[in-house]
Amino acid sequence: MRHHLILRVITKLIVPPIILFALYVQFHGDYSPGGGFQAGVIFAAGLILFGIVYGLRKVKKVLPPWLIHKLTALGVLIYGGTGVVSLFFDKAFLDYSVLASYPKDGQHYGILAVEIGVGVAVAAVMIAIYYAFAARPPRINDEDW
Amino acid sequence: MMEFVLGHMNYWLFIILMMTGFYIVVARGNFVKKIVGLNIFQTSVFMFYISIGKVAGGTAPIYPIDLNVDPSVTYSNPLPHVLILTAIVVGVATTALGLALIIRIREAYDTIEEEDILEIEQAMQRKENAIEGSAMGGRA
Repeated sequence: MRHHLILRVITKLIVPPIILFALYVQFHGDYSPGGGFQAGVIFAAGLILFGIVYGLRKVKKVLPPWLIHKLTALGVLIYGGTGVVSLFFDKAFLDYSVLASYPKDGQHYGILAVEIGVGVAVAAVMIAIYYAFAARPPRINDEDW
Repeated sequence: MMEFVLGHMNYWLFIILMMTGFYIVVARGNFVKKIVGLNIFQTSVFMFYISIGKVAGGTAPIYPIDLNVDPSVTYSNPLPHVLILTAIVVGVATTALGLALIIRIREAYDTIEEEDILEIEQAMQRKENAIEGSAMGGRA
């Protein structure tokens, strides 16, 4: 999309607010509508928009495919590992009360960690799906349109 | 009678939306349109679940920030919302799988129309029968 000046400028302006909004949804997920799923999708949408307008090569420079594939696993690991951590403190699976000195704070940190795990996993999977689809060689060249 | 119809409005709208999606899946030969129909079908189920979770006059089931729950406030049922959140994630995965299959079909057959693919398959079958038939003495 080298010839679409307006699209390129608007994309450059709009991608940082999209990612910022994704982080807002992520970290306010425990007290307001939102959370890991939505934040991950919004984050991925920002990067996919960047990839559509500026080309797959540039977005792969920011987030290489090997890193994305590691992040999908890392997200699931954080998600499940948060529940397992409490087992090491003689508490039940998913009992987050041990994560801080006050049980209520521990619950808070626990749900935040789970949400971060979900967010990382969802964002990475979305971007991985985009890479898988967009990396296929196009039948028509960009110049031939 | 009228009260019954209006009182079950979400059921009627759900049936209309679901049958719209189902019709697209059955009637259209284009695979991308079939996926669109499947998504409309799926969305109708989401809408149905969320509408039966609604309590009249209830607000969003979110804890107040100071954790003091006012007993006079009614909340909507959050359980259908959670179920549908999971269903939406599954829906994204199935849509991605369907689109990936369509891309592979297009690479193999050079078309995404169901009828064209059936024609190509039949032509291949006929050619294969001719070869097999001559190997068995000209009877196919």
